[in-house]
Amino acid sequence: MIAGVVDFTDLVNVIWVSLVSGIGVTFAFGVAILGGTRAVDSSRAGRIVQAAAFGVLGSLAMLTVVGSIVFGIVILVNT
Amino acid sequence: MDADVIVVIVVATALVFDFTNGFHDTANVVATSISTRAMPPRIAVGYAAVLNFVGAFISLQVAATIAQDVVNPAAIGLLAVFAGLVGAIAWNLTTWYFGLPSSSSHALIGGIVGAVLVADGPSAVSFDEGIVGKVLVPGVVAPILAFVVAGLAILLLYRIVGRLRPGPVTGGFRFGQVISGGLLALAHGTNDAQKTMGVITLALVANGTISESDFYVPDWVVVSAATAIALGTYVGGWRIIKTMGSRIHKMDTAQGFAAQGAGAAVILAASHVGYPLSTTQTISGAVIGSGAAKRLSAVRWGVAGNIVVAWVLTLPAAATIGALTYGVTRLFGTGAAGPVIVSGLILVGGTLLFVRRAQQQALSGPAEASG
Repeated sequence: MIAGVVDFTDLVNVIWVSLVSGIGVTFAFGVAILGGTRAVDSSRAGRIVQAAAFGVLGSLAMLTVVGSIVFGIVILVNT
Repeated sequence: MDADVIVVIVVATALVFDFTNGFHDTANVVATSISTRAMPPRIAVGYAAVLNFVGAFISLQVAATIAQDVVNPAAIGLLAVFAGLVGAIAWNLTTWYFGLPSSSSHALIGGIVGAVLVADGPSAVSFDEGIVGKVLVPGVVAPILAFVVAGLAILLLYRIVGRLRPGPVTGGFRFGQVISGGLLALAHGTNDAQKTMGVITLALVANGTISESDFYVPDWVVVSAATAIALGTYVGGWRIIKTMGSRIHKMDTAQGFAAQGAGAAVILAASHVGYPLSTTQTISGAVIGSGAAKRLSAVRWGVAGNIVVAWVLTLPAAATIGALTYGVTRLFGTGAAGPVIVSGLILVGGTLLFVRRAQQQALSGPAEASG
């Protein structure tokens, strides 16, 4: 009965988009914190190259977070 | 003339419902930020109100579902829409008074369906594609999905940041919660304000103001619904905030971030396809998921169980009140007298509940402050 009345395309889209965006953005933000914290720690220890690498990693992860959010909102607005 | 008066009363009642929706659902949006001290309560509530307002403008898919897919707009009358709204408001006020998190969305849909069933019969309600396909099944899937997303997200986060110094991690996630809390408020405004837009548009179609074949949501409907939900959110529901923020489980900032992010992701994805979700159920699923993934015993399952019971009761209870309200309204005929009298009664009843609640809070305030 349910199979006949539920639009499974929409439902499956909601499920995979939620999983990818919810977990993906969280993962990226976790990497941003990791990169930022390690960059500060490495800098204090005088490991400049390592600090720069972690800084770039953290910045890229933060850009991913912001980009994903903007991308999602643009899709919603343009529907 | 009578029809125009009823339309005005329905629009005003819908905006009152929207206000109570924001008032009732403030906890969904801000409880995690307050509980983890990512934001002070007043700032969290103000921030959520602004983003609720903005969120109401980014999509109209849910409004279309409410106005076209749950009941047949061409087959229903204005009095049924009015009675449904009153049923939803009465249920929202009752659950607010007793401090029970409920679902404003399911109260609205339940109230409308109950009133339409009594007024226009089962043929005016779309049980299969509408109620089952767009409300019940997504309504069951969403909190489970939010539970899974939040659970997986927090497990992943602990693996990434688990060996770092706690200070920067806590600070980082507090900042993250400003983002995730904002997204959740945006999502709440998107999904919940649209339900009111949908009901007002439904009334306009039922009245013949808008043609069913040329469906659109007028701009004044969008602006007024956005304003009402934002004001309701700002005024807030402090008692419910207490239930949601600390009684389900104590959270750290990473859990708060994961829960808010998961809730926002699910609600925004569902809004995109027009599912009128319960934001309460979805964020509660995410909050419980973020706690259960860390430690099952950290979740106060008794409180979570009480919330589930309130959810299960919402649809039938609001439907029953909506049906009864329709019966009472019809006692005064089909003109404007019924809605005027019933509106007055709900206004008096609501005011009495507010006064009584304020008196109880004044009496219990010093004890709570010391505890």
